[in-house]
Amino acid sequence: MDADCAPAAVGGKGDAVITRAQLAALIIALALAGCQARAEPAEIGYSAAGLYNLANSYARAGKPGMAVLNYERASLLAPNDSDIDANLRHVRDSLRLASEPRSWFDRAVRVASPVVLSWMGVVGLSLLGVSLLAGRMVSRHRLIRLAAALVGIALVGVTVCNGIVLWPKLHEGVVITGATAVRVSPVPMGDALFVLPEAETVSMVAEHESFVLVRTRAGRTGWVSRANLAAVVAAKSDPGSP
Amino acid sequence: MKMQRMSSSWLIGMIAASVLAASAALADVPLVYATIEPAQISMGESARYTITNLGNESESIALPVVAGLDFQLIRRSRQFEFVNGIALPSVSIVVRVTPQMAGIFSIPGITPKSPPLVLQVNAERAAGSYFGPRIAGPPVKPPILTGATMPNGIHLTEDGSAYVRLSVPKREVYVGESVPVEIDVGMRSGFVSSLNGLPKLTSDDFTLNNLSRSPERRERILAGERFVLFTWHSDLAVVKPGVFTLSAEVPLTVRVRTQPRKDSLLDDEFGDPFLRNFFGPTAPKDINAASPAVELTVLALPTEGRPADFHGAVGRFEIASDISPAAAEAGEPLTLRMHVTGSGNFDRVDTAMLDHVDHWKTYPPKSSFNPSETDSHKGEKTFEQPLIALKPGKQIIPALTFSYFDPIARRYETARSAPLGVTIAPSLADSALTAQQVSAGSAAPESAYTAGFRPDHVVVGRLASSLIPLYLQPRFLAIPSILALAFAGAWMSTGRRHRDRKMPVRSRRVSKAANRMLAQMEDAARSGDPARFFSWARAAMQQNLAARWRLAPDQVTSAEVDARIGDEDQDIPLLFTLADEAKYSGHALHATDFARWTQIVRRQLLAEKATP
Repeated sequence: MDADCAPAAVGGKGDAVITRAQLAALIIALALAGCQARAEPAEIGYSAAGLYNLANSYARAGKPGMAVLNYERASLLAPNDSDIDANLRHVRDSLRLASEPRSWFDRAVRVASPVVLSWMGVVGLSLLGVSLLAGRMVSRHRLIRLAAALVGIALVGVTVCNGIVLWPKLHEGVVITGATAVRVSPVPMGDALFVLPEAETVSMVAEHESFVLVRTRAGRTGWVSRANLAAVVAAKSDPGSP
Repeated sequence: MKMQRMSSSWLIGMIAASVLAASAALADVPLVYATIEPAQISMGESARYTITNLGNESESIALPVVAGLDFQLIRRSRQFEFVNGIALPSVSIVVRVTPQMAGIFSIPGITPKSPPLVLQVNAERAAGSYFGPRIAGPPVKPPILTGATMPNGIHLTEDGSAYVRLSVPKREVYVGESVPVEIDVGMRSGFVSSLNGLPKLTSDDFTLNNLSRSPERRERILAGERFVLFTWHSDLAVVKPGVFTLSAEVPLTVRVRTQPRKDSLLDDEFGDPFLRNFFGPTAPKDINAASPAVELTVLALPTEGRPADFHGAVGRFEIASDISPAAAEAGEPLTLRMHVTGSGNFDRVDTAMLDHVDHWKTYPPKSSFNPSETDSHKGEKTFEQPLIALKPGKQIIPALTFSYFDPIARRYETARSAPLGVTIAPSLADSALTAQQVSAGSAAPESAYTAGFRPDHVVVGRLASSLIPLYLQPRFLAIPSILALAFAGAWMSTGRRHRDRKMPVRSRRVSKAANRMLAQMEDAARSGDPARFFSWARAAMQQNLAARWRLAPDQVTSAEVDARIGDEDQDIPLLFTLADEAKYSGHALHATDFARWTQIVRRQLLAEKATP
């Protein structure tokens, strides 16, 4: 062995040892994080089927606002459930409310539930990271590394796009009372600008005390009492949260 | 012929002069004016209303319309009227004016610039009238002196035409107290042409609030003389304590006779302005009729015992409260009302109602005042406050309070209402019902929405703790964050080792070049070629030093070597000097010198290899 080559040989062994240790630490960290995520207390939970059944019950009870609210919530958990879509559209059509058809992009990025997509994103990130690191350490299997990186990018991309599509829906609310007055200011005695029908879905722009600034699909804005509106994704303390 | 021409010229000149003179006269007099005679009549009589037109005859003149007066056209006549000594053709329209009720009527001017005419119609024939045949009884009118003081504190104006009386029920009031007052304006029949404004106070220390727009009107006989009496009701308010004098005044236009000196004897004899009016020409005159001054003591409100919620209300009040609806859902607005009734300064009646109440969201109240029809300082003020219940269940709205100062009892009082109960149901959005609960709670049959519905799902499935997507939940975000950090750390770590691993390769490349140069040096030494030897030796050192100093080999010159190495190692600068000499002067070296310089260069190269 050439003297010049000796240090390089020693360095290569060291790299291999450290890389194995790093990978082991990474796997342990992932496992711990996964266990932590799984170990979250179940508390009171949502299920797509439970919300769907609840929405059906509200619809049967003649409360279309609460029915649409729970269909929207069920749709978040099971975006490709055709029953949810069908009954939601049915209630909206019965009330003569506009139902926007889902775009191809929306269907593509909501191919799975957010839970599955979350783990897909983690797997994609792992694939991408490992392939990049392997490229630094090993010069062989270049095509495999490239394919793994591309798959990783794709998985992360789907998750990110799912977040982009769902973000507006996370800030939507459903009118749960009939003929809800939309006021010019966030006070009960504020002048009414227009009236929202029950089960109408609006974007929630801001909040002030017990009033929410909403924007309709037509672009009109005004303040609605929180008692007349329920957020699709409600905080624990908000109305509508179980 | 000539005479005829001269006569025509003369005639034209006369006509032109007449026209000019008429124009000058017309410039001073109104073209259309109206008169009414007499200005005072009784019910059952008529007055003569004459409209005279000195201008365009074809101009149409509309008869006035006055409620309570009937205008009937009698005749239209043409005549000449002498104005400033010039005869002008005029058209007169005579109208009979028949009253349908008693009162003082103002007939609007016949043109926009004409003054209105006043016709007074008495309910019955006035005793002591001076109109001869129309008067049945004998004149029994007692004289009234100008500026006289009459019973009930009535003080006539200087010309005896009117009086003003201010009635204040008390002489001691509190700051902010609203005191009802009456202002009477009596106008003697036939003397006052017009009332030019509303009554006002002469002092700036007081204000008149809620002055009635239309005064009460009635007739009154004072000292045998008929007066038309107008009465205004108002509230007197004062803003600072002290002793003040108070008076009310009213702008009037009265008729005064322009007194020729020759008529003064007649005035002295009768001493009555009415006679002056009758016997001589009159002219309008604007006056301010004022009431006798009243002294008023204004007391400050006591500071002792003043409640915290006192806002300046002075009077006597009672309160009551109600809420609607009595049952509501949480989050639904309710309206709490407080009714304040009584008498006093309602403009200072104010309350914040409920400010902070547990489990309730409160808003500022708004108020409305409904005054009494008969008395403006009495009525009901209603406050409405929106409330929003934040918690379901049976709730009690606390009692409302209202503090005021009672000027009769001379102390602060606090009125209280009874607490109110209200039932708050859970909000529909706030209830976490299950499908079974919803179904059980709804006894109604399936609604119209459910026709053609897809059935319920049997399997409930796994529960999610939140509707927020997992990748947006902070606890889950820890996983990709840790992953990213770990990969980044590993990337940086492997990057440094990657550089370290590449370093020996470069060193190996340098060693190969150095060995090649050493071989060339040895070859040149064997052939005894100092120029080639030192050229390769300098090239080897340039490569070596360039790698060490991170320079290009060409940049390693003798000057650079002197500057960087100096006296530390004299062999290298000397090597560069010898190389130059060997190249340009053919300097000869011994075999031992070749061996020595070869050893020096080899040592330098090996030293560079040992450097990490």
